[in-house]
Amino acid sequence: MAVVSHSPSMPVKSSVFKALTKTVRREGLSVVLIVALFTIIIGPMLTVVLWAFADVWRYPSLVPTQWGTSFWAETLARADLAMAFPLSVGLAVTVTLLSAVICLPASYAFARMNFPGRQGLLLSFLATNAFPRFGLYVSIAVVFYRLNLIGTIPGVILIQIVNTLLLMIWIPTSAFQGVDRSLEEAALDVGASRVRVFLQVTLPLVLPSLSAAVLLTFVSTFYEAQGALIVGLPNVTTMAVLMYSIINSQIIVQYGAIISFILWLPSLILLTFAQRFVRGNAISAGFGV
Amino acid sequence: MPMAITSTTIPMRRAKKRDWSWLAGYALIALPVLIMVALIFYPAVLALIDTLFVPDATTGVTALSLSNYQAFFKDRILVANLLFTFQVTLTAVALLFVIGYPLALYLRFSKSRLASVVQVLTLFPLFVPGVILAFALIQFLGSHGMLDSLLHAFGFTGFRTPYLQPQGVIIALVWESIPFTVLVLTAGLRQVEDAVVESARDVGANSWQIFMRILLPLSLRSAVIVFCLNVIGIFGAFTIPYLLGPAQPMMMGVSMQQTFNNYQDRVGALTQAVITFLFCAVVGLLYVRTVTRGRKERA
Amino acid sequence: MSTLELVGLTKHFSGAKQSAETVAVNDINLSVGDGEFLCILGPSGCGKSTTLRMIGGFEEPTSGDVLIDGASVVDMPPNRRPTAMVFQKYTLWPHMRVYDNIAFGLRLRHQDKAQIDKEVRDSLALVGLTGYDRRYPAQLSGGEQQRVALARALVLQPKMLLLDEPFSNLDALLRVRLREELYAIQRRIKITAIFVTHDQEEALSLADRIAVMNAGQLEQLDKPSQIYAYPRTLFVADFIGVMNIFPVQRQGDLLHIGQYALKAPEGLNGESGLSVAVRPEDFTFSATDGAWQGVIDQTIDLGHYRKVLVIVPGLFGDETAALAHRVKVYMPKSVQARAGDRIALTPSRYLVYSDTAVTRTSSATRTSSATPNAQPIEVRNQAVSGEDDR
Repeated sequence: MAVVSHSPSMPVKSSVFKALTKTVRREGLSVVLIVALFTIIIGPMLTVVLWAFADVWRYPSLVPTQWGTSFWAETLARADLAMAFPLSVGLAVTVTLLSAVICLPASYAFARMNFPGRQGLLLSFLATNAFPRFGLYVSIAVVFYRLNLIGTIPGVILIQIVNTLLLMIWIPTSAFQGVDRSLEEAALDVGASRVRVFLQVTLPLVLPSLSAAVLLTFVSTFYEAQGALIVGLPNVTTMAVLMYSIINSQIIVQYGAIISFILWLPSLILLTFAQRFVRGNAISAGFGV
Repeated sequence: MPMAITSTTIPMRRAKKRDWSWLAGYALIALPVLIMVALIFYPAVLALIDTLFVPDATTGVTALSLSNYQAFFKDRILVANLLFTFQVTLTAVALLFVIGYPLALYLRFSKSRLASVVQVLTLFPLFVPGVILAFALIQFLGSHGMLDSLLHAFGFTGFRTPYLQPQGVIIALVWESIPFTVLVLTAGLRQVEDAVVESARDVGANSWQIFMRILLPLSLRSAVIVFCLNVIGIFGAFTIPYLLGPAQPMMMGVSMQQTFNNYQDRVGALTQAVITFLFCAVVGLLYVRTVTRGRKERA
Repeated sequence: MSTLELVGLTKHFSGAKQSAETVAVNDINLSVGDGEFLCILGPSGCGKSTTLRMIGGFEEPTSGDVLIDGASVVDMPPNRRPTAMVFQKYTLWPHMRVYDNIAFGLRLRHQDKAQIDKEVRDSLALVGLTGYDRRYPAQLSGGEQQRVALARALVLQPKMLLLDEPFSNLDALLRVRLREELYAIQRRIKITAIFVTHDQEEALSLADRIAVMNAGQLEQLDKPSQIYAYPRTLFVADFIGVMNIFPVQRQGDLLHIGQYALKAPEGLNGESGLSVAVRPEDFTFSATDGAWQGVIDQTIDLGHYRKVLVIVPGLFGDETAALAHRVKVYMPKSVQARAGDRIALTPSRYLVYSDTAVTRTSSATRTSSATPNAQPIEVRNQAVSGEDDR
């Protein structure tokens, strides 16, 4: 009778192979998705970054023919850039601060106070999403035209604040609503005044959401181009508006690439915080979900 | 019984003082509400009035007239723009669902450790502003751009760039809207509990049936919100079609900007704006109603 | 140490519409002695939590007064009242460590650091959590969190400790252990405590006295033993412990339950709306005259005794609903009993209630309408039970 004996190495080999196929089967979809998304999503931005560090790049090379930063000095010396950058930062800071001052107290009221029509008024801010954006800007621009706000900084600030309202009210409102009232009651109970309860219990608990709202507002304002274009021209040219003319009159790709790269840095920094916001579902609240 | 009250007479509490707290609430919300009314509702209503009341050419007396709208619909180019905007919007929104739902389902149900990488990638466009995206896509999709080079490296030479073509606009708009679409669809799918899906599987439903009969109905609200905001967003888009689209026909946003800035025709631009408002009004109302219902149910 | 009095305490909640006002708490009067442990017991929605929250200052009474040590506190906000509350949800502040959670109130009182340190450590020791001060709430189990909440309340040396279903989020075993710990702590520091719960076992084992509430009304305020032995209303009879309740028809000095009858007690007024309540342990099993002849439908072994469900034909009018109408009986395990056995039941002790309608629903009219018997009348069936004297 023939005795079939398994060599001891066989099961080990097959189990390794099994584990491998299992991994491929389990992670295969993820890997395919990652490769596809990386090409489609990251590819364009990677191209820009490569262009920013290219002296020469000839088709059909996949990477710059000659690496270098010789265009940087030229680009950074551009007069329009020197004017637009501080203007953009200043505008974004102003709009964000104004929006915070206007909206954060309101969001507290929406979350914690009782007044007739509260729900309806909160929902009315959805109107900023319910109008086609550019049509709205044109209507606002016509009003501004009559008020001589076209081409002025206050005009640009106003049109950009409109953009921030929903975000700056809905995210903090849902954050305030998310704070369990009994946490505040417990603090009242041990003797804290209402102001102290707000500062030491409520505020620390909503701070992550509030900073998310402020950060998102800052970044979206910094990059806001459409409102600034239609209301700001010809006197107020932000970085984002500058990009229109650079793209439309592109002679040297590196100019656009370098400016895009610099312009994009704040967003890249925000991206690293993105995971945290998403976990808290803060962003979804900004869409009224 | 121990219910007896101690004998001392206790003054009954005086009548409740008047409650003014609602006034404080109004005071706090006054400013943002005012801004919204002044910068959204007022301009929209004014646009309607400005385009409907037309001064007579000879007498100068303004009267209710549809002449601005008649002029719009007689203009072949403007009608072509409107139709083009419809085509682009519908195509892009359909594509967003085709791409967004599988990604959302993957993110909702995948137990892979790589799922978080996929999530970061899908969210990435959220942090790429429109103008930069336009520039990047020109370099990526343009003739002799990165994609062209990539295809060339794989031996494919017949590349025709979508830049300045309708396809280019659609690709860019889809690219831009993927994060929002996936984010909201995933959030909707997360509201469906595992147990609901498992019990459906338990009674023998296959994946497709689970999606159609369980997941889709239960996350319908998020799908409706995605639909509405994508339609409105794409219908009113400007930057992408302006920088990537064909010169003719153009999308309504570009058309409005040209009419407003290049031809200095404010009433013409307003007429186009009101037409986009009206076309989006149904979708806008559906959006507001969906969100309202969702909040009521949660309350 | 302190006393508490509630005088005509009433709370109306206005609904969404101005017309829709609900009465959450209706004219509660009671007083709690120094160092006493009072449990407010009732089903959910009976107004017990609202009552407690009015004592703590979190709800404003519509009318009535709250007095602590004889002084009205009703105009004080919670932060100025000498009460400390432990909430149902573990309301520890998630962004503060255990130490800071407990020290929060002390710091508000501007105590010096060494003093705060000592008191925090003492209170942590009191609840058995020495060494937990550096942890964050998220690193604690539910039971530990609730102990910290208790320490946080006690560290301020309040005149009165208020507890709003503090253990209801914990699992059964832990609930019993924390209950025992709370009992020991309360006895040791002799603080006046008001404890709201829907769990009668919790109330019976903790309280010096229990206030039973239903539909915003105070149904009964008594010692646990009294509440069990002499439930004052049908609601309390039904709510506390297990009770068999039979609607009865009176004919002269007999109370008819279906085809059977019990002796009407002396001094019983009124003809209709009478009910008889019998505890499951108040039955004897000898086949005497007039005993209820039944068949055991189900036996349930409850450890130290046996619960037996008996179908007695002719006891209830409607036999189709027999499942709901089984007589609940506790038997010692020494007595043999199996499903299908015949059994004879005689109530050895029962309570007779008049006017069920009034006691079952809102008893707002109770004081105005002169019901025949405000109190149930107890009957001890001496013929069959001599030794029973609960």
